[in-house]
Order: sequence, then C-alpha cells, then structure tokens
Amino acid sequence: MATKKLSRRDFLRLTGASAALMASGLDLQSMLKAAPAAYQDVVKLVFGGWGATAEDNGVQAAIKEFVKENPNIAVEWQLTPAAADYMQQLLTNFAAGTAPDASFITADSFETLRAAGQLMDITDRVKADPQLSQPNYFFEPQETDRCADANGHWHGIGSTWVAHHTYINLDLFEKAGIKPPGFKDEEIWDWDTYVANAKQLTLDGNGKHPDDAGFDPDNIQQFGTDWGLWWMPIAAAIYSNGGEYVNKDGLLAIDSPEAMEAMQRLVDLIYKHHVGPRTSTMADLGMTNTQMIDNNRLAMGIEGSWALSYINPSMMKVPLGTGAIPKMKKPAALMQAHFHAIISSTQHPEEAWQWLKFLASPFYTLSFMKIGLWLPSQSAQVTPDGLKEWVTKGIHPDNYVDFVTDYLPKNGVSIRIPRGYIEADTNFIGPAFQALAAGKSVEEVIPDAVKQANEVIKKAQEA
Amino acid sequence: MTTQSTLKVSTSSSRPRGFKSLSSTQRRTITGYLFIMPFILGFLFWFLAPALVALYLTFQKYNLISPPQYVGLDNIQQLFKDPLLLLSLKATFLYTLLSVPLSLLLSFFLATLINRQFRGIAIFRTIYYLPSIVPAVANALLWAWMFNTEFGLINVFIRALGGTKVAWLQSTSWAIPAFVILSLWGTGSSMIIFLAGLQGIPDIYYEAAEIDGAGRWAKLRHITLPLMSPIIFFNLLLGFINTFQVFTIGYLVTNGGPENSTLFLVLYIYRTAFRSQNMGYAAALSWVLFFILMILSFITFKYLGNRVYYENPGD
Repeated sequence: MATKKLSRRDFLRLTGASAALMASGLDLQSMLKAAPAAYQDVVKLVFGGWGATAEDNGVQAAIKEFVKENPNIAVEWQLTPAAADYMQQLLTNFAAGTAPDASFITADSFETLRAAGQLMDITDRVKADPQLSQPNYFFEPQETDRCADANGHWHGIGSTWVAHHTYINLDLFEKAGIKPPGFKDEEIWDWDTYVANAKQLTLDGNGKHPDDAGFDPDNIQQFGTDWGLWWMPIAAAIYSNGGEYVNKDGLLAIDSPEAMEAMQRLVDLIYKHHVGPRTSTMADLGMTNTQMIDNNRLAMGIEGSWALSYINPSMMKVPLGTGAIPKMKKPAALMQAHFHAIISSTQHPEEAWQWLKFLASPFYTLSFMKIGLWLPSQSAQVTPDGLKEWVTKGIHPDNYVDFVTDYLPKNGVSIRIPRGYIEADTNFIGPAFQALAAGKSVEEVIPDAVKQANEVIKKAQEA
Repeated sequence: MTTQSTLKVSTSSSRPRGFKSLSSTQRRTITGYLFIMPFILGFLFWFLAPALVALYLTFQKYNLISPPQYVGLDNIQQLFKDPLLLLSLKATFLYTLLSVPLSLLLSFFLATLINRQFRGIAIFRTIYYLPSIVPAVANALLWAWMFNTEFGLINVFIRALGGTKVAWLQSTSWAIPAFVILSLWGTGSSMIIFLAGLQGIPDIYYEAAEIDGAGRWAKLRHITLPLMSPIIFFNLLLGFINTFQVFTIGYLVTNGGPENSTLFLVLYIYRTAFRSQNMGYAAALSWVLFFILMILSFITFKYLGNRVYYENPGD
C-alpha cells in the first residue's frame, strides 16, 4: 500500500482544524444557554466529607433520594478517605476560595471555623422549620450543648452521636462465672468491681491471675480489659470521676484532682493491676481491641459505639455482649460526632439548607444507624416505633436498646471543643497521653502539658 | 566560547521573518534558553515564588481561613521560646549526625565490594540497589513491621542472639536509632554514584602503586580516597540536605511520637501549617530549615571543599 507523507503545511492545517473543533466543542456555556429553561434552573451544590465505603454508600444513596425530591438541585459529593486529610483539604479550599457549599466538619474544628465566620448561621432556619423546631426533636440538652454558641446561635447540625461502651466476650465471662455488666443503673459496675473482675479475667501463660504468686505480667495470654488512652475514653473516665475535660471557660481542666485521679486509674489498669494491654502490645499483635475479643485475647474492651459497624457481631467467632463503661463516682459517657454545616461562602444558601435538613432526616441517618455506625440523635428514633426502624438483629446486641433509651439520655455528656484545641492536642495533650500509655505517671506529665495547652487555647481564643 | 547572550533581531527585509531570520548565534542562544527553560520555570515557580510567599507569611498571622494579618516580628520571636522547636531540632540533628556518616560509610563499602569483575556481578549490583527504588511509603510500612517489638524480624534476631526485646518505636531513646537503621536501607543510590566514581579511576594508578609496593590500605588512602573525594563530598552534601528534610518516615511510622521524640523539623513545619493552622509560624520555621541548610552547606564547602581533589580543575 502506498503511503503518503504528511507535509508540514498539512500538519499545520490539521492542527488548526482540530483546535477550531475543540474550541467549538468547549463552548459549553453558550450551548447550555440555549438549553430549555428546566435544565438551566438546576443548582449544583458541592458537598464535601470523609469516610469509608459505608459513609460513601450512605451519602450516595442520600443524594439519589434528595434529588428525586428536589429536582432543581444537584449534589456533587467530594469524598476524602480520612477526616484529618479532609479537614486539611477544606482549609486549603478556604484559602483558595473554592470551599464546597456544605460539608462534614470534625467536632474539634467546628468552633474554630464558626468563630472565623466560615459556617453559616442557621438559627433562624432551624427555628422556622416545622420539624426541627419541635421541642425535643433532638436529644436535649446534648444537641444544643454542641450546636449552639454562647449566644444560642446554631452553625451546624449533628445528625448523629457516638459514645463509648463495653464490648464483652460472653464466652470468657461465662467460663469465669462472671455476670456481665449492662446499661441499667443497677447493672453498671463500680470501679472496684470492674478491677476485681478484670483481674479474674486476666490469665498469663500458666493460667495465673494478676494477684496469684508467680504471675508473669510479660506473658499475658488473656487480658481482662482494655481502656484506650486517647481523649474520648479518657474524657469519659474524667466525667465519671466528677471532673471535666473542658471547663466553662473553654480551657482544658484535666489537671484537676478528680481528672488526674481518673487518668491514673486508667494507667494503673496496665501497669499496676496488669489487666490491660499496653498500646504497644496491641500494635505488636496487629489487632484492635475488638479483634482481640474475637480471638479470645481480651474479655472486655471499652470502645466506641461505631465499632459495631466494622466488627459485625453476627460474623464474630464468639458471642458478643455490650454494657455500660464502669463508673467511678457516677456513670458517664462522652457523646461526640461530626457536624454537617453550610459554608458561609455558598452562593446557594437556600438549596444548601434543604440539603442540610435532609441530612438530619430519618432517611439519611437510619442507613448508618442500621449498620451500627451511628447512634440516634433524634428523640423519635428512641421511641418503641422509632427503635423498630433501626435496631438490627445480628448487629445490635439484645440490651442495646437500654443504651440509647436509658443510659445515654441520663449519662451522656456532650462538650464543645474549644478553638485552638487541635494545636494544643497535637503538640501537648496527645504526646502527654502517649507518655501515660508508656507508663509515666499522671503527676509527671499532665500538669505541665495542660499549662502549655491552655496557653495555646487562650491565644487562639484571644485571636 | 563565542555564544552571545544578547539577541539582535535582523532587520533585513530580503530574509524571511521569524526564527530562520535570526543569525545562527541568536538561534543557538534561543535554543539554549529553551533547553534550560524547564529548570528556569521550575526555579521561578517552585522555589523563588514559594520562597517569596514564605517570606511574606513570616510576618503575618494566617490560619488559611481568615485573611493574613501583619504581626511584625512575632513569629520570629516565637522561634526563640518554642520548646517544640528545640525538640524538633534535637531529633533532626541527631538523625542527621548518625544517619549521614553511617550511610556514607556503608554505601562506600558496598561500592568497593561490588566494584569487581566476575561472573554474576550485575546480579549483586542489582540486589544492593533494589531497596533504594522501593517507594518511600512502602519502605516506611515495611520497616514499621520489622521494628515491631513482639514479632518484628529485628527483635527476633536480637532474641535469637540472647538479647532482650527492644521497644524500637515506642521508646523515646530507640526511635531515632531505629530510623537511622531504616535510612541505611536506602543507600543504594549513593552506592551507585560511588561505584561510578570507582570505575572512573584508571587501573594504571593502582598498578603503579603496586609496583612501588603499596598495600590495600595505602592504595585506598593515597589513590582511591583522593580521587573519590569529589564524589564523597557530593554525597555528603546531598546526605545532609536529604536527612534534614526527612518527613515520610516520621509522619507514617511514628507521627512524631513517642512524646515528640521523632518530631523532625519538616514534620513540625507541616503540623504547624496544616494541623495548627498557623501558616505564618510554619513559614518562619521553614526559614530556620533554610538557614540551617545554608550554613551547613557553607561550612561543608569552606572546610571540606578545599580538601577535595579535582583531577582536572580547569574543566
């Protein structure tokens, strides 16, 4: 076959023709202008957030449902896998003027963004909404505690809660002849009962318990308990001992005698009573505490409610029970969750509000509650009829209803994380908790860390 | 050399306009600039512009959310009373001082080992070079497992030799040494540079020395080291610059812990900028890094540069 060489002139002609074609193809704006009116009125919202497959699926399903009900609004979901990465991305979006219309906001960034005026004030819209304005539509006072600023203004809606409770390996409890704790007042263990039972449930390689002669703390095969040394479970212990994590001035108060005593008790579980694994031991095993429960290496673990979604009790090798975390002076659990908020710079506040409201609707929240990822935040979801909508056999253990209907409304504590907390935590509080996990005493590390952390917070609040 | 850097546009109407109308010197100059344009653009956009922005931000308070606010010398003053900066400098210097000399020694030693000619030498060269092409993230995760206190290979060896387990990544005293060991894993690239240098030394020098009765040590000291000194100098300088900018392992393996003992300077700059949202102070910290590297490079050039032997200094 004869081939013809492309001359330079032909090449230039071809390039010119292609460029003209592309230019005409890219002139979408003018083409859209010529489109029927119905298409022109669709408002596109950008919604940003983080999450794994479960969150992604939930948001995608919500978008489908929402656009069915609101054909004039389209929602583009921008997903980043990790929350911390997403918040960094959001900050750069703010700097570049490309922030989404609505967004997930982590609890520790909420106050900073609110104070900087980045989150739209939705107080009037909440008040005017026939559904959301109903008294006790949300769990109260927790919802107002987290959403409203000092002047009672709302800048976001929680849509969910998560809190810590005890995950129990029922086989190991039965073997030891110990009745597991529950969520009702009389079923909640006090601290001494907890430590005594944890000792009973701890076994070294020779089958000895921590108080037995010859017990080998370096060769523990079955741990009685695990209480993570990071801020949420630590805060729960502090409130249970009558202390505060953050005081009314928005400063860290974990250097109070009550808080210090509570933290030392947690450290003692590992280094004095030898009933809990070191963080390093868990890292070495390559297991989370719930995986240790599933492998008979742990009898009970204090872990966040969200873990139900990834352990899926129906798939576990051992029967799983749940109960309240042990109490020191009074039962307490810290309730936290991310927020959904409208970014102030949005050009479509009304449409963004419609979307935000939808995110607080049963359709969206139920999908996450059914899989064990979220706890309800609305009163109607804990009525007998409401419970039927989301409590799932195989995911939620039998007594889980008591957790949401009785325990949390009475004992759940919600706090507002102050401005500057991220820096204070990253630089001082986090490393101090690491030092506790490594066995240093509370007295040795906490007062100094709190002093430095509060200087950072004060500076942030003055800004 | 006759190349001129000034352009003279031809005014002759008899010649066609455009590139062809230029003299060959002018065309050569333009072509030359076009060839170095990627570097010039990269320098302008990825160094000079960010450096100017960093200079501006050093005097501002900027959290990425609200507009920057002028704060004068506040960020500079903060440098002198920041306990974390001290910790961070300690971690970075310790890592550099341990890692750079050890890496140089190991890569030089490996290069001399593989600078031989025998059957299958290419396989050995490939094996020693391979670790340095493992992506940094995979490397970091792999070594996190190697240093696992209970099941990590390193502790398995230590225990097999009768030693006790070391909590490599959980102990404030062992975390930096662990990272130094990790850094030795990537010496393949400097080893290859050394190998290229070794192969550039003509055999006749060694033969002449042998005739004069020189042993291995004398040959190494009087021939290899002087002729390799430009390459040692180059690897040393790059080693300092790279270790001072260490980030990936600190971020992925320990995230600065335990208790900020591996809070390397670049990791601290990153945290300050994106976790603490304090871009102004992060910019000030990056100038600290810049000046440290500048001073170190200056010292290296001043005190070691004149000891470097260049065979053809005029070239």
